[in-house]
Amino acid sequence: MSLGLHTRRRLFSHTMTLLSGLAVVVILVPLVAVIYEAAVQGSSAFSWTFLTQRPPIACTPHLGVSCALGGVYTPFEGTLILVGLASLVAIPIGIGAAIFTVEYAKERRIARVISTTADVLSGLPSILAGVFVFSLMFQYDKPLVYSTIAGSLALSVLMIPIVVRTCEEALRTVPESVREAALALGIPRWKIATRIVLVAALPGVVTGAMLSVARAAGESAPILLTIGDGCFHPLEGVTQQGCALALWIFIGATNNAYQNWDRLAWGAALLLILIILAISLTSRFSLNRLVRRMKGGP
Amino acid sequence: MTGDPLAPTGTPRGYDLEVQHLKQRAARMGGFALQMVHDGWRAFDQGDRQLAQSVLDRNEMLDHLDDEMEHATIAFLVLRQPAAVDLRTAAALLKMTTHMDRVGRLGYDMCRISTSGKGPRESPQLRALLQRMDEVVESMVRQSLDGLEQGRIDLARDLFRQDDEVDRMHREAQRMVIAELGKNPAAAARLANIVLVSRHLERVADNACKIAEKTIYALTGQRRAEYLPRRPPRFLNEDPV
Amino acid sequence: MNTDAGSVKLAIDHLSAYYGTVRGVEDVSLRIPPQQVTAIIGPSGCGKSTLIRCLNRLHETLPGARVEGQVLLDGENLYDLDPTLVRRRVGMVFQKPNPFATMSIYGNVSAPLRFNSRMPREEMDRIVVQSLKRAALWDEVRDRTDAPATSLSGGQQQRLCIARSLAADPEVLLMDEPCSALDPIATAKIEELIAQLKKDYTVVIVTHNMQQAARVADSTAFMYLGKLVEFGPTEQLFERPRERLTEAYITGRFG
Repeated sequence: MSLGLHTRRRLFSHTMTLLSGLAVVVILVPLVAVIYEAAVQGSSAFSWTFLTQRPPIACTPHLGVSCALGGVYTPFEGTLILVGLASLVAIPIGIGAAIFTVEYAKERRIARVISTTADVLSGLPSILAGVFVFSLMFQYDKPLVYSTIAGSLALSVLMIPIVVRTCEEALRTVPESVREAALALGIPRWKIATRIVLVAALPGVVTGAMLSVARAAGESAPILLTIGDGCFHPLEGVTQQGCALALWIFIGATNNAYQNWDRLAWGAALLLILIILAISLTSRFSLNRLVRRMKGGP
Repeated sequence: MTGDPLAPTGTPRGYDLEVQHLKQRAARMGGFALQMVHDGWRAFDQGDRQLAQSVLDRNEMLDHLDDEMEHATIAFLVLRQPAAVDLRTAAALLKMTTHMDRVGRLGYDMCRISTSGKGPRESPQLRALLQRMDEVVESMVRQSLDGLEQGRIDLARDLFRQDDEVDRMHREAQRMVIAELGKNPAAAARLANIVLVSRHLERVADNACKIAEKTIYALTGQRRAEYLPRRPPRFLNEDPV
Repeated sequence: MNTDAGSVKLAIDHLSAYYGTVRGVEDVSLRIPPQQVTAIIGPSGCGKSTLIRCLNRLHETLPGARVEGQVLLDGENLYDLDPTLVRRRVGMVFQKPNPFATMSIYGNVSAPLRFNSRMPREEMDRIVVQSLKRAALWDEVRDRTDAPATSLSGGQQQRLCIARSLAADPEVLLMDEPCSALDPIATAKIEELIAQLKKDYTVVIVTHNMQQAARVADSTAFMYLGKLVEFGPTEQLFERPRERLTEAYITGRFG
């Protein structure tokens, strides 16, 4: 035995530390690379007009013709409406389902069924949500096949499982003693579920909701199938074809003949990344604030 | 929880040993007091001054035993916080040792008057009566102590019957003294002491009964009124009807 | 001390309680006198906690739980009434203090008022103060009722839970080993509190500590393996129990 036991252990320990450090680096590299690339390519597009003007007509700059750069106002507005509608549908349904599972179904089989279903659904390829809504609209309400409503419906299908699962976890962290105490005071179950348990689990619920919003904001496949193509004129209403940042990125990126669209697409990509980052950070920040305030801090 | 909780276990628990130990100590103190009565009667009967002195000297030891019993019983109460039979036993022991102390004191009192009465004596019949009284009384005390140590209610209950007998003998002794005073006035000094001795012996029997009462209380929780009817007190110089 | 049949607050009538197929309480009948403290003692698993949870209908909220028999509060069978309303008349304090961690002291005590009724603020304030006084906590928290409930010590939290239960204005207060999680000084404070509470409420306390039952209870019931073995005035049960089983338990000769 050339090395003592003690030395071998230390060597092993250090090696493991090194390897896990490397793993972190491996994870970070793609993330950093993507953000970097988007930042470099897209920041040049950023300006006041970028946010306020509508997408321009396709054109390639050549002798005598300069192309207007335009802006991403329409896609930006579209994303807000899309995600907003989807949240309006998905978050209440998701929270409701979670409350049912944790507060009412408890240990019964239906609870496990709901949880497992949510788990499976959250792992489904997102394009399936688009396909589902598309065929639904096609069957029952043809005019709505390509519309903002269809798009938000598809997004909410994606959001619901996330809300259900995170909300469920959050509700489960509330100790049983809280429910028992409230029951013993003669408070009806539905009030316990909504006004006491839910409030106690609020930090987790908010996080879950924001997570689902962040996911929805960044989804592309379901939107592509359902939203149509209404990026070049002002949005006319939710029943009409709509636009979204994710859609615009697709359009702009695949149309590499038009340089101005290309730059705009990178700008849109950067904007989307920033939006999602903002949502994630806000949710984390507000989570900490909420938790601290509930524990009696400032 | 498996098994029958009331089934006796193989080995007695430390707690049980403590209670048994306390009872044994009390019985030993009772035995010591009884010996004082036994020697006290003999000293009086035979005018044995040396024996009387030895009894008088034992009083200090008697007090010491009483204090020790009290101390041990209170320690048991505070450390074990007993309930039910164990609590009753501790409470009973505290009172019983007082009665045992009195038994010893009565032997002591008999010795204090034993050295007087050098002159003419009581009649042989009276002497035989008192001898018999002493025997019954001593056996009563012994029986009460056995009842305590062995936890036997039957022994305790039997004492109340014997107490009636001692009462009769005491009244008989009083009558005989009065009769003899008339026939043999020279023996008045001795006869006066006989009255006292008879009374002391009757008191010893009484205390033996009290010990029995406490034993019954410890074992069953019953107090005297629950198993013995109250009888009206009788005057000494009147015959029972 | 009065246990005659004329004055009965809670009449438990052939009560059996099940967890699925397992019977936790077997055919218990017991008459609990009003405005007194009744203690229920017995070894672990004897069914005493299950029993009192049948008195405020908390037992049936467990999955698979079932109750047979009746519990009459002033003659009314609690099992014929709406369970939520039953629990407002029969309050409960638990072994581990469980104040609502996200609410303040005021929020905790006013919880039954805020959730069960519409009450103007002044009225609520009055009841909160009264409940805190009755729970012997007012003097310690009077200048910080907005502080979070979790800032109190264990004993104070338990008194807070008592105040909260009292704010619901119950007739009966059930206490499931209320002092088990507390130190001796906090325990003593709560025992003293119980002696005061019985003037206005009927108290039923489950305890595994026989000395505590001896200290606080007017009547004591002894349970074993789900059955009621003996019930009587506390002094009598501890000095001269009727049943051999009771004596074996209280003299520590069990098993």
